[in-house]
Amino acid sequence: MRPFTYIRPATPQEAVGAFAEAGEGARFIAGGTTLYDLMKLTIERPAHLIDVTAVRGLDRIEMDGDRLRFGANAAMSAVAGDPTIGRDYPVLSEALWKAASQQLRNMATVGGNLLQRTRCMYFRNGGGGIYPCNKREPGSGCAAIGGLDRGQAVLGTSEACTAVSPGDWPVALVAMDASIEVLGPAGSRSLPVGDLYRLPGDTPHLEFTLGPGEMITAITVPKTPAGRLSTYHKIRDRESYAFALTSAAVALEMSGDRVEGARIALGGVATRPWRASEAEEVLIGHLLTPELALAAGQAAFRDARPGRHNSFKTELGARTITDALIIAAGRGRT
Amino acid sequence: MSTTAFPNRARVDALAKVRGEAKFAADLVLPRTLYAMTVPATIAKGSLSSLPVEAALRVPGVVRVLTPEDFPAPPPYSEDGPPPPPTLETIIAYRGQPVALVIAETLEAAIEGAEVIRPTYVAEAFACVMESAGAQRQPADEVAFGDAPAALSGAAATVESTYDSPTQHHNPLELIATVAVWEDGALLIHESTQASSLVKGAVAGALRLDPARVHVRGATMGGSFGQKAVQRQTALVARAAILTGRPVKLVQPRAQIFHTATYRARTRHQIRIGADADGKIVGVQHHVEQEQSPNGYFAVSEYHRDVIRMYGIRNYLGTGADIRLDRQDSGYMRGTHPQPAFFAFESAIDELAHKTNRDPVEFRLANDTRVDPQNGHPLSSRFLNECLREGARRFGWSRRSPVPGSMTASDGSLVGWGMACGIYQSATTPAIATLRIDARGHTRFAISGHEMGQGMRTAIASVLIQDLDIDPERLEIALGDTRAAPQHMTAGSWGTNSVVPAAMQAAQRMRAAVADLLDGRQVSGNLHRKLASIRRPFLQVEVTTVGPGQDQAALETLRQGGFAVAEAVYPEFSTFSYSAHFLEVRIEPRTRRIRVPRVVSIADCGRVISPRTAHSQVYGGVIWGLSHALREATEIDPRYGGYLNEDLADYVVPVNADIGEIEIGLIDQPDPLANPAGVKGLGQVSMVGISAAVANAVFHATGRRIRELPIRIEHLL
Amino acid sequence: MCNDPDVAPEIPDNQLLVSRRDAMIASVAVVAASHFAASARAQTGPRQAALPVSVDQALIIRTSINGQTLEIRIDARTSLLDLLRERLALTGAKKGCDHGQCGACTVHIDGRRVASCLTLAGKVDGREVLTIEGLAGGDTLHPMQQAFIDHDALQCGYCTPGQIMAAVACVAEGNATSRERIREYMSGNICRCGAYVGIVAAIEDAAAKMGRG
Repeated sequence: MRPFTYIRPATPQEAVGAFAEAGEGARFIAGGTTLYDLMKLTIERPAHLIDVTAVRGLDRIEMDGDRLRFGANAAMSAVAGDPTIGRDYPVLSEALWKAASQQLRNMATVGGNLLQRTRCMYFRNGGGGIYPCNKREPGSGCAAIGGLDRGQAVLGTSEACTAVSPGDWPVALVAMDASIEVLGPAGSRSLPVGDLYRLPGDTPHLEFTLGPGEMITAITVPKTPAGRLSTYHKIRDRESYAFALTSAAVALEMSGDRVEGARIALGGVATRPWRASEAEEVLIGHLLTPELALAAGQAAFRDARPGRHNSFKTELGARTITDALIIAAGRGRT
Repeated sequence: MSTTAFPNRARVDALAKVRGEAKFAADLVLPRTLYAMTVPATIAKGSLSSLPVEAALRVPGVVRVLTPEDFPAPPPYSEDGPPPPPTLETIIAYRGQPVALVIAETLEAAIEGAEVIRPTYVAEAFACVMESAGAQRQPADEVAFGDAPAALSGAAATVESTYDSPTQHHNPLELIATVAVWEDGALLIHESTQASSLVKGAVAGALRLDPARVHVRGATMGGSFGQKAVQRQTALVARAAILTGRPVKLVQPRAQIFHTATYRARTRHQIRIGADADGKIVGVQHHVEQEQSPNGYFAVSEYHRDVIRMYGIRNYLGTGADIRLDRQDSGYMRGTHPQPAFFAFESAIDELAHKTNRDPVEFRLANDTRVDPQNGHPLSSRFLNECLREGARRFGWSRRSPVPGSMTASDGSLVGWGMACGIYQSATTPAIATLRIDARGHTRFAISGHEMGQGMRTAIASVLIQDLDIDPERLEIALGDTRAAPQHMTAGSWGTNSVVPAAMQAAQRMRAAVADLLDGRQVSGNLHRKLASIRRPFLQVEVTTVGPGQDQAALETLRQGGFAVAEAVYPEFSTFSYSAHFLEVRIEPRTRRIRVPRVVSIADCGRVISPRTAHSQVYGGVIWGLSHALREATEIDPRYGGYLNEDLADYVVPVNADIGEIEIGLIDQPDPLANPAGVKGLGQVSMVGISAAVANAVFHATGRRIRELPIRIEHLL
Repeated sequence: MCNDPDVAPEIPDNQLLVSRRDAMIASVAVVAASHFAASARAQTGPRQAALPVSVDQALIIRTSINGQTLEIRIDARTSLLDLLRERLALTGAKKGCDHGQCGACTVHIDGRRVASCLTLAGKVDGREVLTIEGLAGGDTLHPMQQAFIDHDALQCGYCTPGQIMAAVACVAEGNATSRERIREYMSGNICRCGAYVGIVAAIEDAAAKMGRG
């Protein structure tokens, strides 16, 4: 790790100003669970760190009006443990507490978590140029394609990259039509969470749509009764403290056993948090049966492009959606 | 032999451990310490063409970079034993091999210095997995008795299958760490190792030092499981300490450890086994192939040793081969050879029992043996059937519905009940021990042995506190220190059964010595008070013990820092430990997640000296077995060599949420022949067989026989 | 029972007391050293090497560690774990992965458990750090420490300080209300020896004594 300067501004405006002043090699850091980790792997090499966690007032959880609003600095554990969120929006709570460990959730913020980078092993462990990686060294190729690709994406991939978007929280937010508020040199703006993420295409090193010096200040989620009938179902290689092989964020609006509205997003299988509208369409207006739920799950993977070792993800992913739908719908009966 | 059970005492070093005061090698913080960081090779085979160090030397804080030029040539070949690990070399034999060592004032500077060194290489073609072009297949010695092919041709029923077990890395939680101090012409090495004397010899050999001036203090170990024997890094750090005249510390990053430490070799076992109409095993053919480094010594033939003694097998043909690859040496990892062998063998037994419509427990009970099938010698003790009956009783095996797929839970999960057995040789090493009791209340016992968490200190304390009236609070047990006693490697489940008899003998001799001194006088108080009363500052006794069939030569080998194991097929009898495992799997109906909500594991390890730590060892063994069955595998991309999943996020070991209820039972019957304490090994046998029990339970739940580990969701979708 | 008696050299107390002026030179000062010094004394003094980075790549932080105020100049790259271990000789927290993947480095910051290996040391400026060394009240063990002994919730002991710090927090958070919940909320602490059965039992036991959970 090369040396860097480190400051902790106290207001959002100071933070944005400090970024501009620092110039080349400046990066915002929040909890640091991704950035500092990637610095240790020499993937990230900032010259200046602007730590935004001391920025005042950015950690509030607000539920007034017609939306939930999470300050970007709220700890993952704080939102996960909020009893109202747990009751009215289990998909949000579960997506948080099923991620990482309590230690990391105490450190990581709900804003910073949106910018987590892929866990592709070829990306992480390719220091010294061992593995070609278009994210790490644009144009160098992709070792994962044709390699040990069990963990790689099957949706949204390109000839240049199949790295999975690893997050859980962004998947839940995409399902819930959440937005982010962003502050930057040109002022503030807001955008849907889904628009934060790029597909890899032929520029997989460009992952987010934030401009230079822009920082996330808040996340907003429109309130909806679908929140109650929701879940984040996550299948992994062990019971806890692991990234998803497949996951599904599901929220339903039901009339009896009939599906009036459905939101489904997928994790572990795609290059970005993946809204599965094909699956949603299968459900709308029909009675929710296990068979229909499976048909919806399969619809979500209609365009899947598996590699050598990850074709199971299409089947597992479909079944994960199935179970998630059954769990979510079941919450209306208790 | 010890005739009474030992009480359940707390682990003697638990207090220091819960306070964070136990000192592991990396916990040593000496004034003026320099920090080291290795530079790993990025090619899988070839040679260095340049090693520019200027960029590293420009990093503020970097004081020196060691390169191959800083090391003496390797010592000449010797018949006496394996050569020490190489130091820094220009020839690259495997990816991750260290090519330079950066020394700096701070850890951060050492890391940065190592990052900026960009060697250039001449790369060569390489073979890194068994399927690689260019992998060299080298047949191994046969192990055979009777006529297995003939017996199998006449069998009433046979099964023949191939079973695969993956490459695995030990991953003890403690990183490999070395602190070397060079002072007044002597080298003191603090290292986490289970073989202090071997480390001493290796460093002296590699650096051409007088062994008398090299001391190794094997610190408290943060687990090892076979990994921490002789490490390549030790001589590098020692050389840095010599060249800089300051203490040097290296804590190797885990990603590098994957590439430099040993690992469990991937194996493929082909087994053909048959039974007669009465359900008696008539013969076994077992062919095993394993991955192996170019000069590795991890013997293929040892996959057969324990399999042969599991049941009354009359005909056996064991064959095998090494597949020579461009990798670092494989080595011993918990469960060693029997671990993958018994995934295969105990799966095959289950397949045969199923094919012959016999209950797997009854099938095993009926194939018991009282003698070593290979040589006809007695088995000194064998309570396998007791383990089976006790395990079946506690588990409730009689309630099992035998038809695969016939048991389901209320939530729709498929339920499978499986079982399997384990066996592991109970080998012995010689020991030299010194016991000193002083009049001021202090007792010191020094012996060859290393505390890895298995509880050796507690077992020794258990004996000394039971046999001697001493102050237990001031009992010091010196282990792993080449200055305190010659150190034999502690491994292979021979630790407790090698040191406990010596501790008993020392206590006995001490009591006799005290009686001689007192000469009939009645003196009150404990031994310290007695010595004080008769104005003796201290009393010291030394004892030596050897394994069955060993003589003075073994003690001499120990004194020279060598390897002197009496393998458990002793001249007049054979001594093995046994286990029987019963477990339940539940498999989710759609997503096919496999969970193991409960396990019952019963072990015959002879006399139990330290019940509490013994139970903990079995808990650990069970969890290692579950991990072998369901979690762990090292991934190698054949195009690049090295290990891809080189961290604890991607090399998946169990977390707390993976583990359900585990019930342990120990038979606690002393072995009458192996040693005067009646102790047999426990660390490995507690693990051996678990992975087969899981596979057998998965078969029972689903009707699908998985012959490849780890068993994952995709196998069952 | 005593073991490893000669790992750490005994050094006099006053070696730990560095004046403000010295601190600028030596990069470390221990203020109000009573308990901190006592816990550190058994090991060695704070390391006092000059930092090999430029002025703007270093920073001075003022923090509280185990109840004692400390002002120290650090390389901005330093993790809290390396600060504790290599500069302050508080070696209870362990390095098992250095990437937030094992939990052996768990300490508390302002009462919440964190992975100190992924925490920039600069982040503890103005905050309170509690390590395993500060958990017991003198010779009186914390109920969680005693429970770990009673249930043999350890083998090698390397993960143990992190397990205990995580466990204390787990109870305080209210996440020790059932075995299932304990297992889930203790899954960030890997025990390779496989002491999970004892760990869960110890936490159930201590939670009752701590009056929470």
